[in-house]
Amino acid sequence: MRHLLIALLCLLSPALLAHDGMRMEMPKGPELGASAAFDSHGRLYVVDAADGHVRLRHSDDDGRTLSAPVEVNATAERIYAEGENRPKLAFGPHDEIYVSWSQPRAEPWTGFVRFARSLDRGEHFSEPLTVHRDRAEITHRFDALAVDSKGRLVIAWIDKRDLLAADAAGKPYLGAAIYYSWSDDGGASFAPERKLLDQSCECCRIALARTPDGEVAAFFRGIYGDNIRDHTYAVLRTDGQTSQVARATFNDWQIAGCPHHGPGLAIGIDGIRHAVWYEAKGKPTIWYGQLDPGHAPKHPLAIAGAGAGHADVAVHDQTVWLAWNQVNAAGYALMLRRSSDNGAHFDAPREIARSSGATGSPQLLLKQGRAFVAWNTAAGFRLVEVPR
Amino acid sequence: MKRLLLAFALWLPALACAGTLQPLAAADVPALLQPPAHGARIVALWSLDCAYCEPNLEALAALQRAHPHEIELVTVTTDSIALRTAIAARLHGMQMDVYPARAYAEASPERINLLLDPDWGGETPRVLVVHADGSRKGLSGALTPAQLRKLL
Repeated sequence: MRHLLIALLCLLSPALLAHDGMRMEMPKGPELGASAAFDSHGRLYVVDAADGHVRLRHSDDDGRTLSAPVEVNATAERIYAEGENRPKLAFGPHDEIYVSWSQPRAEPWTGFVRFARSLDRGEHFSEPLTVHRDRAEITHRFDALAVDSKGRLVIAWIDKRDLLAADAAGKPYLGAAIYYSWSDDGGASFAPERKLLDQSCECCRIALARTPDGEVAAFFRGIYGDNIRDHTYAVLRTDGQTSQVARATFNDWQIAGCPHHGPGLAIGIDGIRHAVWYEAKGKPTIWYGQLDPGHAPKHPLAIAGAGAGHADVAVHDQTVWLAWNQVNAAGYALMLRRSSDNGAHFDAPREIARSSGATGSPQLLLKQGRAFVAWNTAAGFRLVEVPR
Repeated sequence: MKRLLLAFALWLPALACAGTLQPLAAADVPALLQPPAHGARIVALWSLDCAYCEPNLEALAALQRAHPHEIELVTVTTDSIALRTAIAARLHGMQMDVYPARAYAEASPERINLLLDPDWGGETPRVLVVHADGSRKGLSGALTPAQLRKLL
């Protein structure tokens, strides 16, 4: 009898834990979401999340050694830190450190966009604030952070308030919306958020890049027609004018689902918009192309196929670099292709690093014309210099 | 003691199978893709962060109930088995815990994606249909009624 009772208790315990877990939604996959950037002195900074804290580390030797972490949020909170939804990092004109992240709320698919800043090179951080005025317990997630040439901070994110409003009114609505806000006072406060457009994809990162005019441009997965998940380009206007939004990819991949696979964008000083994106209308494919909003991209090139993911792009003068993760039998390879003619042609793919364990999305960084790939792996953060 | 046992026995049906979630490692993939003796095995891939997945799983479950002898339904979440608690709770909430359930258990999860289906880039939901004759089919996104009808 006693044995039977014990057996029943063993059966019950996971079920009870499971019930508690209803309110403990967790992000997808290993928490290797990290962002890295060089400040104006060439110091590398890295943000990721651990134990309820966004943490900042720095390196003065190009990633060979990292400092002890500084906690960005003194009070622990839940943090999304997976590949498409990782903490973000950017610098102000005087190396002010700006950090944003998405905070999961209690219910599935909900979050708030959070922000904190340091004015003393990361020794201390401000109390985190919630960027948006809307406080509904819904998706405000997948934040993206950039600084324009005037030092204005811009944060964009995926927001489901219009989906819920449409649902309540019984009106059809696909996906979510893109909202954004900005700060004219170095992140002390943010303007009331504005909607960029309705019906975006719900689960893909937003890529931001600075235009030659110094504005911040966004490239993200939208929804066209009946769940055609092509991409959209827009300059995020912060002067009261309406942002011009245009479809920028035309692969016609239809999916009522979550690609979990956002694009990358880098804009040269000549204004050429170098982009990478994923689609799987036929075979899974990562594309490179030069965006011509309203028209199909120029110089399209299928750069990788099955097992490839989460590409990034960078440009300096006439050199364009592409990096992505490639799964193989031994784990992951960090792959690279380079163009020395501004994206007209690329050399063959080559492996520049490998990891036997899980990895986050690669991030291309530039320092004085040299390219590096920030690669957060299960074995630790790595900064891989791209061979010349 | 008998009353206590009876109380447990009465609780169990409501919470049944929450503990049946099994890991899926790369080495387990060939067995999962082995053709069934008859009919078809439907491998329903989903993830916690995919709002489209719940109605898709429920539609597949309805299809399985309509064809109980032709369809073997297995759910596989691409989330790590380390999230066992949240996964089991979600399956229970969807009343999907009556079906065999797997969760990724691999240091490089995208490797399982590739092994399961080289034509799949990890988007969810994804449905793999393995027929008794060895043929396979993969479909991404929430399936339409017309797609569901053509699955078998």
